[in-house]
Amino acid sequence: MSLFLQRTFDSLANGSAYAALAVAISMVFRSTGILNLAQGQLAMFSTYIALVFATGPSPYMKFSSNTDLVGAAWPVWGAILGAIVISMLLGAFTERVIIRPISADPVAAVGATLGLYLLLGAFVRKQWGGRTMFLGSPFPQTVDDRWDIGGARLWHDSVGITVTMIAVLGLLAILQRQTKAGLAFRAVTSNRTGSLLVGIRVSRVLMLGWALAAGIGALAGGLIAGEINVRPDMMGRLLVFGLAAATLGGLRSPVLAFVGGYLFAFLETMLGGYVSFVDSQVTLVWALLVLILVLFVRPSGLMPRTESWQRR
Amino acid sequence: MITHGFKTSPVKRTLWVVASTALVGLALWVAFTATPKIVTDLTNVTALTLAFAGLVVLTHYLGLLSLGQGALVGVGAYAALHVVNDFGAPVLWMPLAGLFAGILVGAVVAFPSLRLPKAYLALLTLSMAVAYPIILRQVDGNLPITLDGAFVAPSWTGIAENDEHIWEFFLVAAYASITIFFVQGLLRGPIGRAFIASRDEPEAARAFGIPVYRLRLYGVALSGGMAGLAGGLMMIPTNFNDYTHFPEELSIKMFALAMAFGGSRLVSAIPGAIVLIFLPVWLIDRNWVVEYGWIGLVKSEGFMYAALLLVTAYLTKGKGFMSLFERRRPKDLVKPPNRRVASVVGALVDLEARLTQVEELTADQPDMRSRQDSTD
Repeated sequence: MSLFLQRTFDSLANGSAYAALAVAISMVFRSTGILNLAQGQLAMFSTYIALVFATGPSPYMKFSSNTDLVGAAWPVWGAILGAIVISMLLGAFTERVIIRPISADPVAAVGATLGLYLLLGAFVRKQWGGRTMFLGSPFPQTVDDRWDIGGARLWHDSVGITVTMIAVLGLLAILQRQTKAGLAFRAVTSNRTGSLLVGIRVSRVLMLGWALAAGIGALAGGLIAGEINVRPDMMGRLLVFGLAAATLGGLRSPVLAFVGGYLFAFLETMLGGYVSFVDSQVTLVWALLVLILVLFVRPSGLMPRTESWQRR
Repeated sequence: MITHGFKTSPVKRTLWVVASTALVGLALWVAFTATPKIVTDLTNVTALTLAFAGLVVLTHYLGLLSLGQGALVGVGAYAALHVVNDFGAPVLWMPLAGLFAGILVGAVVAFPSLRLPKAYLALLTLSMAVAYPIILRQVDGNLPITLDGAFVAPSWTGIAENDEHIWEFFLVAAYASITIFFVQGLLRGPIGRAFIASRDEPEAARAFGIPVYRLRLYGVALSGGMAGLAGGLMMIPTNFNDYTHFPEELSIKMFALAMAFGGSRLVSAIPGAIVLIFLPVWLIDRNWVVEYGWIGLVKSEGFMYAALLLVTAYLTKGKGFMSLFERRRPKDLVKPPNRRVASVVGALVDLEARLTQVEELTADQPDMRSRQDSTD
């Protein structure tokens, strides 16, 4: 029982990252109908930005030739917040400059997000190389920073990451339900033409959606970096799980995508822990098989099946 | 745009025969005169042309997005290698194992995802592209698996025993030519037209009795089969396989090139394959891969592919640069041949417009029948 509990605790940090990416993907797809395949790379890039802030004027992490922009090393929280702000600006810029002119054609838009995927990957490799780096966790991470519950260890940073993600997504829900901007966002996702007719500035709302999605991705990257370290391919695996989790929410429900993120992390940990022929690398494959199975049995994921989900 | 009048035009037929003969002559000349390295690269280009052609079928004929074509090539390579090593199949037939493996995996991925919006196929294939190297590493281990067999040219060819690269080139070219010939024929016929109908007007296609879902499933399976065959063919010159050969970047690069160069003809697959094989060689020759910073970024492969994707998305709306050179849709076929007929047709059109106006005016008057309709 304590082993089961330990594995459940272990899945929390990864689950938070998958959930955050899934929510970000769902938000963009829901509002624009575009699958942002660069979501993971945006998060990876933001993590490197956080690393630049956190490292200060280090010759290994200098941004171009100008390190004065950053000054002294920032605390990890400050670095992550700085990266979130830059990432949100980058998300808004991406929507305005790259996506909006071609948003009418989904193939071109997906192609553009893939272009961004490659561009960010190339930029990071050429700017900072491909070696593994360490950002550190914003939460206490020593061997004593834990609670012992039922013979299992619950680490403070796992709890911190999970609580932070839940709090941020709770704030996002409040933003959507209690503010005018949120109302406009819901109107646009529900009926874009109708929103235009009642005077909502759809383009601004979409830009806000991309900015928020990029910010959530940056937060996920910054928080999980303490667990998995920073390297150019750090988000590949997370993106796949994030996409799978978003699928559980029918790509349209951030709440179900969030739940899906934790479900997939739980599944990953349990398969790796209890099934003898599944090692930690191949859990990805089993998760994919589960995803295919879910799509076979229930194409709409955990979403209630509506008319729009009928066979096309 | 499919050329329907190809068979009936003797000029075009002659041109086609001349071009084909020239291509065969060029292939023979290159095979016997170029260095083994270049011939091997060309063999890989020929094999990958099939994978790109499969992607062209998917992207430009069916309007679907596949981001896992590189992984399907890898599946074909894996199947081809293991069917020889584990089951003792003859090496000449091993690419067919790749073909069948590609069809199978393509169908398995397509079967659930095609019932959903198109984004799901992109999502699943991208996931497959990421997962493939991880699976292969688990199954085959870290070290490369080498083919238990060799391609020795028969004596009647006159190819020397140490010139096996020439024989390998001819084998791959033969496989590729037969496949392209078969698929081109398929696309020119009713199936190709049904593909286009299901891409442009799926509802109308359904109304005309075209099984859109099944057709797309066959299309993805066909594309997967072509990629698998390409993987099997790549094992002819390469002779070994490991998990680093087919990373997810390969799938994304293939998509980028298919999007940029792909058109509505299978021949548009050739430039993509050439760039994919020769661009890294070109970059290494110029020592650009070791440059860092902003200059290194601009000279990097990733930047070039990203720029290609973005430029394609902006300038051609995702249709590819080949579409800019393709023949425009023929002008209205009912255009009258001379002025007199034109004036008569114009008068008739004018009369019809006036009649429509009159009908609309009378329809605006409420009457018993319309009231009855509304209550119904």
